[in-house]
Amino acid sequence: MRNKKITEEVDSSLYSGEALNLAASIFYDEAEIKITAKSGYNKIDVGAAGNIFGEFLNEALNQQCRIDLAKKNSNISRIIVTRALLSALGEK
Amino acid sequence: MAVKAPESNKVFHCQWRERSNEYLVTNDFGYFIRLKPAEFDRWTRGKMAKTDKCRSRLAERGFVRDCLNFEDLASKWKKRNTHMFLGPGLHILVMTLRCNHTCLYCQSGAVSAGSKKTDMPLEVAVKSVDTAFDSPRQSITIEFQGGEPLLNWEVLKQTVKYAREKEKRAGKELKLALVSNFALMDKAKADDLMSNEVSMCTSLDGPRRLHNRNRRWRAGASSYDVTVKWIKEFQKQHDSQSGRPRIFKPSALLTVSKYSMAYPSQIVDEYCRLGLDTIFIRPLSMIGYAAKLWDKIGYTPKEFVGFYRDALNYIVELNRKGRNIKEKTCQMILEKLFNFEDPGYLDLMCPCGASIGQLAYNYDGAIYTCDEARMLGWEGDGLFKVGNVSEDSYRHIMLNAATKACVVSSNLEQQPMCHRCAYKPYCGVCPVHNYASQKSIWGNMTANSRCEIFMGIFDAVFDILKKPSNEALLRKWTAKG
Repeated sequence: MRNKKITEEVDSSLYSGEALNLAASIFYDEAEIKITAKSGYNKIDVGAAGNIFGEFLNEALNQQCRIDLAKKNSNISRIIVTRALLSALGEK
Repeated sequence: MAVKAPESNKVFHCQWRERSNEYLVTNDFGYFIRLKPAEFDRWTRGKMAKTDKCRSRLAERGFVRDCLNFEDLASKWKKRNTHMFLGPGLHILVMTLRCNHTCLYCQSGAVSAGSKKTDMPLEVAVKSVDTAFDSPRQSITIEFQGGEPLLNWEVLKQTVKYAREKEKRAGKELKLALVSNFALMDKAKADDLMSNEVSMCTSLDGPRRLHNRNRRWRAGASSYDVTVKWIKEFQKQHDSQSGRPRIFKPSALLTVSKYSMAYPSQIVDEYCRLGLDTIFIRPLSMIGYAAKLWDKIGYTPKEFVGFYRDALNYIVELNRKGRNIKEKTCQMILEKLFNFEDPGYLDLMCPCGASIGQLAYNYDGAIYTCDEARMLGWEGDGLFKVGNVSEDSYRHIMLNAATKACVVSSNLEQQPMCHRCAYKPYCGVCPVHNYASQKSIWGNMTANSRCEIFMGIFDAVFDILKKPSNEALLRKWTAKG
């Protein structure tokens, strides 16, 4: 049952399309979520059995923070991941 | 929280946590320092004079930007992150999914003792051992698990023999461990295992009534009685050994259910009574059977942390009275804090131990990133399957997409809350738990039960260490020898 429908607009400088889509993928079995990019904002249509819109936005914020952090820490992250994988492969 | 101060403040990158009128400040090298609010304020505002006593304490721990001893800091970082340079050391062989127990919280996906379809065949066991030896690590551990591994005794026995032969050929150090409820242990099996230097680990959930409530033997007999009988026997063998083969002291694991909550001191007393010198207080896993029964046997992270705190405080009091008993999670955290060592605790690693620190080999030859992932696979979700012993090379396993995904997603530098957390240098996340509980391998730490539990455990450890006499006592837990 996807009987509750909510439509909201969120500022794309706070919630990027990438973060919203990543969050939507986590709710794939609970809700139908459609994200439409508009000028300066993203339009979100949610159809779900319960009220999950707040949870969805929390998750989108989590994803946005992760995306921002990945940009900031990409160098050190890459070094750590590469080192761990190469060591496990037995390569120096 | 984390501080990124302007250059003039001379604050080197660090994380902090405000608690009980003090700031606990840590850095990526593993150093920590407690600061009073006024000290923290002076330091972060760049108002700390060079003659300030607090400044020298900060400087010697790598918190002052223009006083960094790179050689010391780099060696500390590397020592505490040894796991990143070695490859998988723990190899879990699931000898069978059959079990003669029906434990309330079992996450192993056990099936009844009669069905032999889930027994690991010898050829699969041999290939699993071969794969384990392909790890570049010089010292590896093969752990026999189940179900109840003794239900597949003949294969287990042959696998132990094969692994010891392989050890000689490969020139590596091999540790063998059995995790069993001991219900099927007898003298012949015990002698065979001890002669091959297999260490014994069992589950002990506390006094008889509590243990039997959590861990039910299908035969209707007392699981507690048989477990305790063999703990005592292996203790006796350990204490009376003379050289080779080495007989290891038996160990036990405690799984805390809702029924355990009221008995922290009684459970610790039971371990002491049996002469066990370590108790490993572990929460229920929300994966598998326990998840379905959560309303009946589960609890909130806060309740678990309360239990942990009570038990740890009691253990410290016992130590003060001269009793030699340690709590394992606390001990491993202390190794990181005081010795900058990597205790090899796969749950608290960055990146986590999935694939790069451990592999779980299912009875059918399927290989998973860890045992929790294997359990998810048994429930029909093979997301964390990284290969099969009959088809895939070790290299293929390490290059598998699930291996890479686990390494990337458990890197705390990419976790929004973790990278600012004061406990980051000592902690780790679990992509499998995240996926099972929050439907994303990244998880969301603001609402993550595992994060809340470990945060509480770290708080409990640091609170206990606040008292100098406690610190002196607990430092002994990390002493070598």
